[in-house]
Order: sequence, then C-alpha cells, then structure tokens
Amino acid sequence: MVGILRSEWLKLRKSKILPIIFVGPLIGLFIGLTYNMDLLEGVANDWYIALMGMNFTYALLFLPLITGVLASVICRYEHQAGGWKQLLAMPVTRGKVFISKYALVMLLVMVIQLLYLASVYTVGMIKGFTTPFPIDIVWKSIFGGWVATLPLVALQLWMSMLFKSFAAPFAVNVIFTLPTILAINSETYGPYYPWGQPFMMMYIGGKEGDVFFIPWDQLLLVVGGSFVLFFLCGYIYFQRKAV
Amino acid sequence: MIKKLLSVEFLKIKRKGFWFLTFLGPFGVIALQMVNYGVRKDYLLQQSENDWQYYLANVSSFTPLAIVLGIAILTSFLTSIESETNAWKQLIALPVSKWSVYLAKFTVLAFLLVVSSLLLMVFTFGFGLFLGLGSDIPYNSILTLSLYPVVAALPVLALQLWIATVSKNQGIPITTGIMGVIFAYSAYVLPDWMIWKWPTLRNEWGDPIINVLLGLGVGFLLYIAGMLDFARRDVK
Repeated sequence: MVGILRSEWLKLRKSKILPIIFVGPLIGLFIGLTYNMDLLEGVANDWYIALMGMNFTYALLFLPLITGVLASVICRYEHQAGGWKQLLAMPVTRGKVFISKYALVMLLVMVIQLLYLASVYTVGMIKGFTTPFPIDIVWKSIFGGWVATLPLVALQLWMSMLFKSFAAPFAVNVIFTLPTILAINSETYGPYYPWGQPFMMMYIGGKEGDVFFIPWDQLLLVVGGSFVLFFLCGYIYFQRKAV
Repeated sequence: MIKKLLSVEFLKIKRKGFWFLTFLGPFGVIALQMVNYGVRKDYLLQQSENDWQYYLANVSSFTPLAIVLGIAILTSFLTSIESETNAWKQLIALPVSKWSVYLAKFTVLAFLLVVSSLLLMVFTFGFGLFLGLGSDIPYNSILTLSLYPVVAALPVLALQLWIATVSKNQGIPITTGIMGVIFAYSAYVLPDWMIWKWPTLRNEWGDPIINVLLGLGVGFLLYIAGMLDFARRDVK
C-alpha cells in the first residue's frame, strides 16, 4: 500500500499539479480583495464579513469544480498509452490502487483548503483587520469544506476512470455543480443536495455549538450517504474495468 | 481546403457527445428555471411588475456561466481528439496548413456555440409562453439576451482554444475555464476590460452592443495570436 502511494506521489509530482493547486488561494485572494465589505460594515466582526463573502463563491463553485480536475489529473498517466495495463500488471490489487488514488486526491484537496486559509489571513492583513483572527470558526469551515468534498471526489474519480478525456468528467461535474446556485436558496431541498454541502459546511452563519455548521443527521445522511454510494460504485466499476 | 477540413472536423465530433452538450447547455439553463418556477412560481411572480423581464433576468443570470463552462468543455474536448492519441502529427502531416487546421477547429466551436444560443432563444421563448407571463412578449430582449452573450464570449473561446491546443495536460485549460467561471460569476466587481465580464452584457455605459463589438474585435485578435502561436510551435 505504501509502495502504491509512493508511486502515485511520484507520478503526481511530474504532472504539473502545482499551478492547479495554487489557483485555489489566488481565487481566494481575488474574491477577498474585490469583495465590497462596506455593505455590512459594523454589522459583524471584520473577519466574519470577509469570510462570508469569500466562502460564498469559493465553496459554491470553485471547490466542487476543482476537485474534479484533481481527480482527472491523478488518472492522466494511466489513460495515456495503456498505462492502466502497466500499472495493474504489477503485483497490486485494484482495490488498493483505487484507495491510494482517492486518498491522494483528498490530500490535495486538504492542501488547497489550507492554502485558502492562508489567503483568508492574507486578505485580513492587507485590509488591516484589527480584531483577533477567529481561528475556531475558520478551522470548522476549512475542515468542514474538506469533509463535504469526500463524496464529490469519489464520484469524480469514478468518472475520471470511466472517461479518457478531461472534458467528459468535467461536464458531469458542471452539470451537478451549477444547480447549487439555486439549490442553496431552498430551505427544503438545499440540505439534501450533495454538491451544496461544501457551501453549507463552510458557511459560517450556521450553528456554532456543534462540531460542524450543519446538523449531524444531515452530515451523515447526505454527505455520508452519497459518499458510500459514489465510492462503492467507483470501486466496483474499477474492479470490473477492462484495461 | 477549408471546406474539406471542416467536414473532417464535423466527422470527428460525431457520436462523441458534442451535439448532446450543445443541446444540454441551453436546456440546462432553462431547466434550472423550470425547477425555480416549478417550486415557487407564485413568489417569483410577486417579485416584479413585469413578469417577462423578471423571468429573462433569471434566465440570463445563468447564461454567462453556462457559456464560459461550455466553452472550456468543448474546446478541451475537441483538441483532446488529437492530443490524447498523439494525432496532431498525423493531422499536420497532411497537405494542409496549420493555420487552416486551427481555423477549422475554431469555426466548428463557434458554430456549436451559435447553435446552442439559437436553442436558448427557442427554449426561453417556449418556457416563457408555457408560464403564461402575459401577452406583452419582449421579442427584442429574448433575441438580445440569447444571441449577444455568445458573440461577447468569442475572446474567451479564442483564449481557451489557444490554451487547449498548446497544453499537453488538459487539466490546464479546464482550470483556466474554472477561473473564468469564477470571474463571470463575480462579474459585478470586475473592471470592464476583463473578457469574462463581457458575456454578462454589463458595462459602465449600460449598452450591451459595446460588449458584442468588443467581443468581435478582441476575439479576432486573440484568435490571430493563438493561431500564430500554434503555427509556430513544434508538433510532437
């Protein structure tokens, strides 16, 4: 297992992944610095206003979309020139390959989240916020957003193994991500939409007592349920995939 | 030569899902409003005196996002036919010039986008009639809001095609497409010179035709730049 992870890491290092990873914090900086804070001046703490504005665009569109790109990048080497055959001819099980690839994508998503955290802090420094950095809230939001991408990455990894091109899994991702803009407006249906969960988990206006900003049953049912579904489908598909 | 290259390109996109995506873009934009109006029609009709204009505003809040993402998907898809199978070499080895290959690709993409904007016009009109928003149908606005954004998005198309043809890793053009959609989504804070703002038809003078003309002009310039760069590069 460690061997597979290391070989995946090596392939990843040669895949020009860094520019893609650094787009996350750049987008964060862009949203943060262009966001007009005057509208809410004095209503809440500076950091809260900035986080509300930044998390909105970041978690609504950017985070779900970029997870798909990472999942496609991690399958890129294998799709070229019969790479799947070569990889699976080695003494490795398909299950372990799938889990390693999944784990690595989740690690990359975590890196993007941490870089985004750094960009939030940078925005605050540039704008000269004087109030203390609300680290508990921010952690909850960063970690929650990461948890919410668990099912999305599982689906995208499945799609990336299914299709050879980058465009097809991305199209699937777009088809499910764009409706989020509407879904989060609905109190009845919004909480059940898996692609809306990164937004819900990062939205700092939620309940503060819990570990996350959304109730546990919603987390387990929607995020957990869709994760199990997508992960199992992808796992089973990969077991049967003809290479 | 161009005519033959075009028929080759149209042959290549057969049965690959291109036409389906061209249909799905405008259909998805209207389908979102079907859900929106299906769930809370009474509330939405109360929001404004002019139901048709309010409905068109709802539709056109998604149009630029769908166009920018659609461009990213279609360009990457079309160039991946060659880059995935290392077929650029074979295509270029034919007695055709590189600039005409590039022109054929661009023309096919622009054609697909125009088809999708015509479909958007039909769907917008059809669902508007179905909703029964009144007899005062704003034909002019339906026409402008369906056709202008695609023309204003030509610079985005030229830029994405340029990036997609020169990058070996298709993750790069997809990522620039994602950046584009974030820009289009935050268009109201962007300065007027950013090309991703243009499909939203906003500008400081409040006249959409400026975006259309800019789209044509800058689109042409970016197309030439991409074509020259493509022609200059080695094909591996």
